[in-house]
Formats: sequence, structure tokens, C-alpha cells
Amino acid sequence: MQAVLTAPPNASHQKADHRSGKYISFRLGSEEFAIQVLQVREIVGIQEITAVPQTPHGVKGVINLRGKVIPVVDLRLRFGLEELEYSQRTCIIVVQIGGDGGRVLVGLIVDAVSEVLNLQASDIEDAPDFGPGVALPYLLGMAKIKGKVKILLDIQAALAGGELAALSSQEIAGLGF
Amino acid sequence: MAVDSDHKSVGGVETLAANPLASDPELMNDFILESREHLTAIELQLLTLDQDPSNSEAIHAIFRGFHTIKGMAGFLDLDAVRDLAHEVETVLDLARNSKLAITPAIIDRILESKDYLNTWMAELEGLLHSGKTPVPPEAGGLLEAIRSLIGGGAVIGGAVGSGAVPQLPPTLPANVAANVAGNLQAEAPPSGLLELARELAAPASQDSPAEVAAAENPETAKAAETQRVGARSIKVETAKLDYLVDMVGEMVIAQSLVRHDPDLAIGLKPRLARNLSQLTRITDDVQRTAMSMRMIPIGQLFQKTSRLVRDLSRKAGKQVELVLAGEETELDRNIVEELADPLMHMVRNSVDHGVETPEERERAGKSQSAHVTLKAGHQAGYIVIEVSDDGRGLPREKILKKAREKNLIAGDAEPSESEIFALIFHPGFSTAEKITDVSGRGVGMDVVRKQLQKLRGRIDVISKAGQGTTFLLKLPLTLAIIDGLVVGVGDQRYVVPLFAVREMMKPAEEAISTIHGRQEMAMVRGNLLPLIRLHQRFHVQPRHELPWESLLIVSESGGKQFCLMVDELIGKQEVVIKSLGDSMRHIAGVAGGAILGDGRVGLILDPEGLFGANRGE
Repeated sequence: MQAVLTAPPNASHQKADHRSGKYISFRLGSEEFAIQVLQVREIVGIQEITAVPQTPHGVKGVINLRGKVIPVVDLRLRFGLEELEYSQRTCIIVVQIGGDGGRVLVGLIVDAVSEVLNLQASDIEDAPDFGPGVALPYLLGMAKIKGKVKILLDIQAALAGGELAALSSQEIAGLGF
Repeated sequence: MAVDSDHKSVGGVETLAANPLASDPELMNDFILESREHLTAIELQLLTLDQDPSNSEAIHAIFRGFHTIKGMAGFLDLDAVRDLAHEVETVLDLARNSKLAITPAIIDRILESKDYLNTWMAELEGLLHSGKTPVPPEAGGLLEAIRSLIGGGAVIGGAVGSGAVPQLPPTLPANVAANVAGNLQAEAPPSGLLELARELAAPASQDSPAEVAAAENPETAKAAETQRVGARSIKVETAKLDYLVDMVGEMVIAQSLVRHDPDLAIGLKPRLARNLSQLTRITDDVQRTAMSMRMIPIGQLFQKTSRLVRDLSRKAGKQVELVLAGEETELDRNIVEELADPLMHMVRNSVDHGVETPEERERAGKSQSAHVTLKAGHQAGYIVIEVSDDGRGLPREKILKKAREKNLIAGDAEPSESEIFALIFHPGFSTAEKITDVSGRGVGMDVVRKQLQKLRGRIDVISKAGQGTTFLLKLPLTLAIIDGLVVGVGDQRYVVPLFAVREMMKPAEEAISTIHGRQEMAMVRGNLLPLIRLHQRFHVQPRHELPWESLLIVSESGGKQFCLMVDELIGKQEVVIKSLGDSMRHIAGVAGGAILGDGRVGLILDPEGLFGANRGE
């Protein structure tokens, strides 16, 4: 994933228009990610998670979100990073994604939530081409803000596809949301 | 309003736009709902009339129902509906003026008309909800048949010609569809027009006997009174109701969290304590009320079977009287809906298998007319429904023989009476010698039992040769809440549904044994039961590895008992069942989630799934 930092600056701006807007950025390990504010329902602190057996890799269990039982996914595990002990800074970003049975809420565990970004189309570049066989459909693009690179995520794709395997050594199936 | 812009696609048919009223989805929806209510009432009254053809009250009530439907259908340009209602009304008008005697044939025709109109409502609803163009139901000469009733089958109707008379101009539904579609976005529906239609229809019922009779007969007056009271209710979308119930559940938890907050407990002043307990009382009340809003009396369901009994017994040449009791017993509307099919199955079985022919009954020294009884009542927090007949009883020997043929029991085993009768719930089991179109295919009772298990209920059968058969159904009051034992395993907590728990125990060391070094067994009251370690199944780190340091919960699933090993019992709690969502719907051994008293989620265990997985199913 470090490769993204040396992305060739040849990205086109065709896709940029629908990608501009407000983003919430968060940290996973040493990398900064961002997802569109429109997909985010709320952010809650880390809380007691009830483990559920026989769930796909990365799904930590369920939490009580004001009476709704929603699944939570540890994005570190999802992206093949090593697991980290939860701390005061650990947050659950509750996103709304379109599932089979309509819209569903899913909690994403991240190391820390950083800030809200207002990204112009000119800030956003396409994800670099990693060569054949490496498809990363969940990468919306990259944003360069104040000299730092943020990875823009299509969270729906990140939770759905099996292509995540490209980033990690293990085969990761879709979560079935 | 259930109609939304999705239905724009319905259009595209040439618009005759004859009537703007027919095109308003809201009006149409009202019409369907109201007509359905009338049709249900009509069926009920017809069955009363069937018992007592001289019951003028019933005739009047049926007349009023058809009249109102006719009026509304007229406004909505549903000519086929209107015409049929009109013809039936004519027949009933003669009947209520004592110019025509009610015969079973007439009742049959009117029942058919009622069914016909019901089909229509379904078609209209299809149009409304999915934009499906209604297919006019096959009337099959119904109108003619009704006309011929007048004048004792005189040739009045003959001139009309043969075939389906309530001929709907084939374009009409299309128009209606187009209109409905076209006006979906129409602002301000012409509200009150349906009411107008109703009012216009009303004068005919001015001479309704209820008011006239009220003066002379206090009982009828009371009936009229209840009718008026019954009208004072509103219809609410079930989704809204479910949401309310959800939120109330949350409120109760939040309230309990506040009340038991340790910070608050330290300096609890009398005034605060008083206010808190007041809040508790109110939230309890609100919860009870919210729950009761989803309850409906089971009587509606029972009454649906009366038609079935009538049709079946007539077809089979048997005399059956349906006896209903405890119709006012209330239970969750979801359960009532799910219970409809099993109940129909059982009643069908009773009439078809249980009840003998009049001659047979006579020979056995019984009254010619058999009784099928449906009884509902509360019993220790459960609803118990009894479906019984006084027929010939279950054929014990035949079941035993069949079971041996199918190798369900060993050839030399001598099962107990209840074990034999339990065999009828086995899939594909039927002892009927000939397959009729109602029963005998052996797909009845196992489906019934499955359905009941889905509803977290159970079914038992009691039968005595020559005296009849009784099915006992035991169901929870509601599907939304269960009583559960909260148990702990490691740092996780689980809810074991109380209905599945037989007992709890700390076993002695010598009560635990192992078979083939793998499957552990526990000796409970002289029975060896399989032992399932919950921590192994769910991959949780337990606090105790040794069964005799842990707690064993003796559970039951599908008539088989097993022991569930957990660390400790935390308490008993009534929990609201929550779905874990689509992605976690099919986890073996987990029935759902529940918010526990401290706001955490606890998984509700599904004993069936746990035990099934243990057997490698």
C-alpha cells in the first residue's frame, strides 16, 4: 500500500467532479483514509462489542446503536493490517450502505478520526495503476492536502468485494452486507 | 400511503379518464380496505344465516354491506363490482322484505359473490402496490346465477344470456391503472368524496333494523352500541407500530440504566427517588400499551375456519358443527397471521379424517352431527389453542404399522401412546387410504409443527379411539419479546430462551462421561444427555473448562434433550428480539440479538440450531 505514495502524476480529472465534496478522514496505522460525509451517519466512541460466531474475517461482532443492533467491521483486519488494541482514540464510524435488503448500517472501527475535509475536484487524482491483475475498485482516488496523501475510499466496495485480497496475504471474502 | 412514484410505469394505456375518482390511489386504497372489512362481515353474517335462515338481522347486515360496496364501486367506475353487488342486493332486498326465502343455494351464491369480490380486491390491490394491471376475475356466470335466484329460479335471468355477465369492459382496469398512475403526483386528493359515496349509500340503510329494533330490544341496542365503539379506531401502518415498540423498548432500557446508575445511587435524595420510580411506572405503562397495540383477538382467525368447515363437511357428506370458545383471547398480530395456515390444516384434518359420516356415528351410538371445537385461552403466560373433534380418534394400529413400514420405529419396539401419536408429525406421514383433495398427502402435520416451532410454540396431540382427537397448541403471547435466561461464558453473555430450558444444574464429577473419547455426555435424572460446550461452539475463552465447575442448562429441541455448558447464570430477563441483519441471519445457533439491561447486545441462542449443528445437520 506504500506504493500509492509514489503514484505517477498522470491521473486524469474526468472522474473528479462527482468525487469532490466533504470527506471525513481517519487513520489506520500510518495511512490516512477518507470517506464521503454523505455515507456517514454518525461517529461513536469504541464500545463493548458482542462477538458473533461464524462471521467473515474482519467482522468483530455487533453493537447496540440506540436500540438497533448493527454489525461492526474492524477496517484494520479488513485491509490486512495487524490488529491493534482499542484505545481512547479508537472510533466507530457508522456508515450507511445499500445492502440486499435495503439500506443497512455498518460500524467501521478505525484507529482515530482526524478531520472533515472539503475537497475540490482539483485536489483529487485517480488511483495509480498498479499493473495488471491488481484491481482496487474500492479506491475512489487520492487527495493531496497540505503535502499529505489521503486515500479516498468507496466504502461500499471496500466491504463488498473479494478483491481486497490484492492488498493482503489472505483471501478475504465479501462481508455479505 | 403505500403508493409512490414507482408506479408511474403503469401508464401508457390509452386514457379514457372517465372518472377522476378512480384514479386517486388513496381513494382506491380506502375502497379496498373498507370493502374487505365489509366482505369479512358479510361472510360472518352469511354463516349465521346458514344456521338460522330466518335471521333478519343478518340479512339486513349483509344487504348493508353489499349496498355500501355497490355505492363506492359506482363512484370508482368499477362496473363489474357494482353490477354484482347490485344483483346480490336485489336478492337480499327481496329476502328482507320476506318475498324470498333464504335457501342454502342462495347462501352458496352469495358466498361465491363474496369470494368473487374478494378476488377483485386482490387485483385492485395488485394494481395499487405493484402497478400490476388487474385481470378481471372469472365470474363464471355468477351474475346470471344470482339473477335466476329471484323468483325461485324463474327465467328472469335467462334473457340476459349465458357466460360471465359481470363483463368488465376490458379497457376499464387499464384506464383505472392509467388514471391511478397519472394522478399519483396529483396534489390534494379529493378527500371526502368516498365519504360522500358512503353517505349517498347510507339512506338505504336508514331503515336499518338496528335503530328500529333498538327501542324494543335492548340486546340489539347493545350490539349497535358496540358497533359504534368499534368504529372509533384508526388504522396504523404496522411498520410505524413496530418502530414505536422498538423505541419504547429502548426507553425502558435507558430508564433502567439511569435508575441503576452508580453515580446516582450514591446521593439518592428522596425527591429524586420518588420521581425516578414515577418514571419507571410510566415507562412500564407505556411499554404495556405499546405491546397491546399489536394484539388482536384470535376470533377473526377462528371465524375464517367456519367457512372451511361448512364447505368441507358438505363436500364429504358429513354433519359438522363448529364450536368456538375464547375468541376474545388476544395475541400478537404476527402470530395470528402465521397461525392461519396451520389452523386450517388441522381443522381440515379433523373434518376429513377425524369426523365420521352420520351413518357411522349413528352406529357408534353418537349424535349424527359431529363437533369440531376451537378453543383459545391463557395459560401461565402462554396462549393455548385447542383444536378438537369428537370423531373416531387417531388410528393407533394403522400409525404403528405405517411407522414400521417406513422404519420410523424398530420392528419390535413398543412405543408409548404419545410416541405413536407424535409420529403423525413426521414428514410424509399419512395413513389416509385414499388421497382426497383436502388431505392425505402427508404434507400436513409436519408443516404444522414446523410452523409452530417457528413461532416458538409447540403442539401436542391427545386422542382416544372412538372419542375424538385434540390438538393442543401452546404459543407465546408475542413474537417480539421472549423470556430468557441471561448466561455468561467468559466475557460474553447469551440469552437462552426460557421455553427451551428444562432445568439447570451443577453436575457431579461422576455424572460426566465420554463416548469414543469425543462426545461428552451428562447423566441427568437417569438419562444420558449429550453435552454441548457453548464456548467451543462459539470460540469463546471460558472461565471454567471442567463441566462440574460450570453450569449445565438442560435444554430441549424438537423433543430431544441436551445439556448446554455455560460458565454462570446471570439472571432472567424479558428481552426484545432484534434481528442481526441480513449478513448474520443464518448463523447456526443464534436466533437474534437482544439489548441487555446494561445496553450491551447479547446473542439469543437457538437451541434447535445448536443441537442440530451438533448432530452434523
